[in-house]
Amino acid sequence: MESQFSGGEFKPEELYKASAERFFELLKTFAAPSPAAGGAAHDWSQMAGPLATQLEQWLRMSQSAGSWFSAPGAAAAAPGFMGSQWPFGPLPLGPAAVQKPETQRIWELAARFAQLQTQLAAHWGEIARSAAQRFIARAGVPSAPPSLEQTLKLYELWVACAEEAYAATARGEDFSRLQSELANVSAAILVEQRRHAESLAKAFGLPTRNEVDVLYAHVKELSRRLAELAAGSAPPQRPAARAKSAKTAKAARTKGSARKRRGRA
Amino acid sequence: MNVASALGGGIFPELALRLSETVTRLQAARGVSVGCSQKRAVFSLGKTTLYEYLPLAPARAGHLPILICFALVNRPYVLDLQPERSLVRRLLEAGLGVYLIDWGDPDEADRHTDLEDYIEQHLGGCVRHVLGSSSGEALNLLGVCQGGVLSLCYTALHSAHVARLITITTPVDFHTPANLLSRWVRGVDTELLAACGNVPGEVLNGLFLGLMPFRLTQEKYVRLLTGRPEQRAVEDFVRMERWIFDSPPQAGAALAQFVRWFYQENAFVHGTLRIAGERVDLARVQQPLLNLYALDDHIVPPDASAALRRYIGSRDYTEHAIRTGHIGMYVSGVACKEIPRRIVAWLEERR
Repeated sequence: MESQFSGGEFKPEELYKASAERFFELLKTFAAPSPAAGGAAHDWSQMAGPLATQLEQWLRMSQSAGSWFSAPGAAAAAPGFMGSQWPFGPLPLGPAAVQKPETQRIWELAARFAQLQTQLAAHWGEIARSAAQRFIARAGVPSAPPSLEQTLKLYELWVACAEEAYAATARGEDFSRLQSELANVSAAILVEQRRHAESLAKAFGLPTRNEVDVLYAHVKELSRRLAELAAGSAPPQRPAARAKSAKTAKAARTKGSARKRRGRA
Repeated sequence: MNVASALGGGIFPELALRLSETVTRLQAARGVSVGCSQKRAVFSLGKTTLYEYLPLAPARAGHLPILICFALVNRPYVLDLQPERSLVRRLLEAGLGVYLIDWGDPDEADRHTDLEDYIEQHLGGCVRHVLGSSSGEALNLLGVCQGGVLSLCYTALHSAHVARLITITTPVDFHTPANLLSRWVRGVDTELLAACGNVPGEVLNGLFLGLMPFRLTQEKYVRLLTGRPEQRAVEDFVRMERWIFDSPPQAGAALAQFVRWFYQENAFVHGTLRIAGERVDLARVQQPLLNLYALDDHIVPPDASAALRRYIGSRDYTEHAIRTGHIGMYVSGVACKEIPRRIVAWLEERR
């Protein structure tokens, strides 16, 4: 999705300008004289093609109607796919810097991602054609070129038709499956990239994400116990927490007694 | 004048002029403020901060404080966006004590923070703080959207701490036919999702906008162009834009659990949810419950919220549907009047 925040600075006018530009394009399509009618009256059926083409182009370009979850490697692997939403770019290390089996896995995932994107794109054509057909069926046949007010109503109708056509496809099993699968492949690429980064970090003697995770788990457990102690007897504890605390307390007491015994000895 | 001549003649320059005017107004509105009522931080845990709003009217006798638990996926300031669009302000004006949880921005250190942490430690910590400050045994909990789900879990697990529960646009049955979001994420590998770490807010935002892309990313801007709004209306629009696109990142573990337990397993409905080893049984929610939802909600379909009545144990259940959309429940004129009015009246009846 195009985000006003992804560039760092909040620019509310950017999406507005882009939408206005597309709106003007649509107005031009509405106003284009119909060749079949010699330019005298509008034959909406002649517009199905241009309208569908415009919509399909937008759908192909827009991430808001694309896959919602994409990793940087996936974006790089699928030319034309809009920029990633993850807060980091592709690893600067490059596929050549890693072991061959790992590289192979990344390329397989990237190829799968591109394949899924192609399958998704096939739906854009279907949505665009369906939207145009719905619009033509409902727009009626005006006796003269529409006024500006009528054109704005036509725009509302066009949006309603596009949204209906989109919903009809987006609710389908194939589209839903694609959304999930794109998310999964994207996530798998991200995980693979991190695995590479882990092995490189290890090679340079740097702490890895997994090691940090283990430390974090320790800190989290300690924080949890501390919070339970701080809460004292005020809130009723969960059975699991009570059991855990009792076990911890018992272990602490045992250790303490052992230390005392050792101290005495 | 028809469009053909308009484009070549007078109206197209007119539209271009409107476009230019509105762009200038949008640029001028970039720095518009959000959040209007005075508050102070009273408790924090990790990235979570509990705020207490300063009173705007003498305290209403016999009323417990209200703790607002908003969704993790959006910022809570939408409930106090500006003076005339503020649920918080209306509650304060009614003499109620209001607390609000801001979950903050989880960073990579929080990627393992899970729903148990959020419910037991963060929400639980806030509840304990409010109870400690008010010397009370229970409070009124108001859960919004995903925050309503967390509030239901908390209430089912810690019934004694919640006197009354209010839910707004809260999904309970995640598998209703109209739930597009649920269809899309049904096949997501949640273990893989959790392994990715935190998910940027923009990713979820893209998902939400993708549910109705033409209306949410095109039509609303065209309306701004054709409507020729004044500066004040443009500022209102920008406030909403700021909120919509200002989405916090999501702790990977919590998001993965939310997707799995609710969107995939529909755990409330099937009674399979367990938090910290304890079963979350909605039948244990026996408090008076007010459930407010939107009839045109594309994120939480009305059926998903209305299902609550079938699963709770409360005999004092009130629901009300409002003719607006999901975001309209927080900012539309009708919702901004009706929701606080209904909450205050409902609480007053149960004082």
